Amino acid sequence: MKCTRCRELAAVALPSHHSAFCPECFLLFCRRMVERAIHDHAMCTPEDRILVALSGGKDSLSLAWLLRELGYQVTGLHIDLGIPGSSAVARRITENFCARHGIALHVLEMEAMGLGMAQVRQRVKRPICSVCGQTKRYFFNRFALENGFSVLATGHNLDDETSRLLANVLRWDADFLADQGPVLSAQEGFVRKIKPLYRLTEFETANLSFLLGIETASAPCPYSAKATFPVYKHLLADLEDRQPGRKLQFYEGFLKHGRKHFASHSTPDLTPCVRCGSPTSTELCGVCRLKAMMTSEADLPEARDNVLDSGQQA
Amino acid sequence: MITVHLEPEGGTLTFPRITTVLQLLHKTGRKPGRAIVIRGTELLTPDRRLAAGDTIILRDVGSRG
Ligand code: SF4
Ligand SMILES: [Zn+2]
Ligand SMILES: [Zn+2]
Repeated sequence: MKCTRCRELAAVALPSHHSAFCPECFLLFCRRMVERAIHDHAMCTPEDRILVALSGGKDSLSLAWLLRELGYQVTGLHIDLGIPGSSAVARRITENFCARHGIALHVLEMEAMGLGMAQVRQRVKRPICSVCGQTKRYFFNRFALENGFSVLATGHNLDDETSRLLANVLRWDADFLADQGPVLSAQEGFVRKIKPLYRLTEFETANLSFLLGIETASAPCPYSAKATFPVYKHLLADLEDRQPGRKLQFYEGFLKHGRKHFASHSTPDLTPCVRCGSPTSTELCGVCRLKAMMTSEADLPEARDNVLDSGQQA
Repeated sequence: MITVHLEPEGGTLTFPRITTVLQLLHKTGRKPGRAIVIRGTELLTPDRRLAAGDTIILRDVGSRG
């Protein structure tokens, strides 16, 4: 198979784009997909200070590299969750990658704040992934706001986005559908959030991360639960085999034609958390309640926080 | 003989009679576009030929991260 662009030997075949690319042209293809996503949705400008949420996985590290290549001001934030086995590996991969590519990196240690997920897991009754996700969203957003970043970028790819869209459609979850998209504008207490990889599939980011020499974590999170999204990912992958290009059409079609019909659905009224000031639908935000619970002897009731729980802030 | 390392689950398989990447994907129950196929520093498209003695990493892309 030859590269569609330069006729050299191809390394990556992409039936959904009726193309195949050699390594060099594939990097160019990825850049263009991200450039187009940024351009079509006015995600950011070279003046923006962009904080990239770096999990240590292939998507977020590739994203930091791509944004930097495209000339944006990029700083990484890694949250060390304090999960035995996996967190140290994820942190080491992130630190090595950022050092190698000269990307500024900050690390927040949850254990130092009394919120190490190993300890949290002992105390909470909710599924740990929901608490962990809530905590990450809270600290990424807060760190961005407190340190003068205008944008928070995350590594969600097309498979993440389409599987979530399909799940929301199958439930006709109007609130989540109203909020789903590659950009969430800044609001009081929330930094603007962007997903510049939304046009790239998981397969494409896996190829990209290999070409960039990103180490793959051999230590998955031991708490990783059987999430429902993989079911939808597999359904969509089967559809994509039969109809190459379907996933991107499904998602772009939703953004163009579908989303506006859900836009009037209201979000809960938000007030500043009495302790930390972050917007919340309850008096004390989810993370402040978690902190209180971790420092108290008694278990506090775990009231849900619509804001931090919602898909909007994912 | 082709030696195949599976990622992320770990484990090694050997195949005496496989000659293309596509055959390898079929034999291991994978489809193109769901796994990347690595030989040394090279990424292989499904049509590429494999040679006896090749060592391949088959990395599924569905994993988190
Ligand atoms: S699998 Fe769950 S607990 Fe583990 S890092 Fe992800 S969200 Fe957190
Ligand atoms: Zn080329
Ligand atoms: Zn709070």
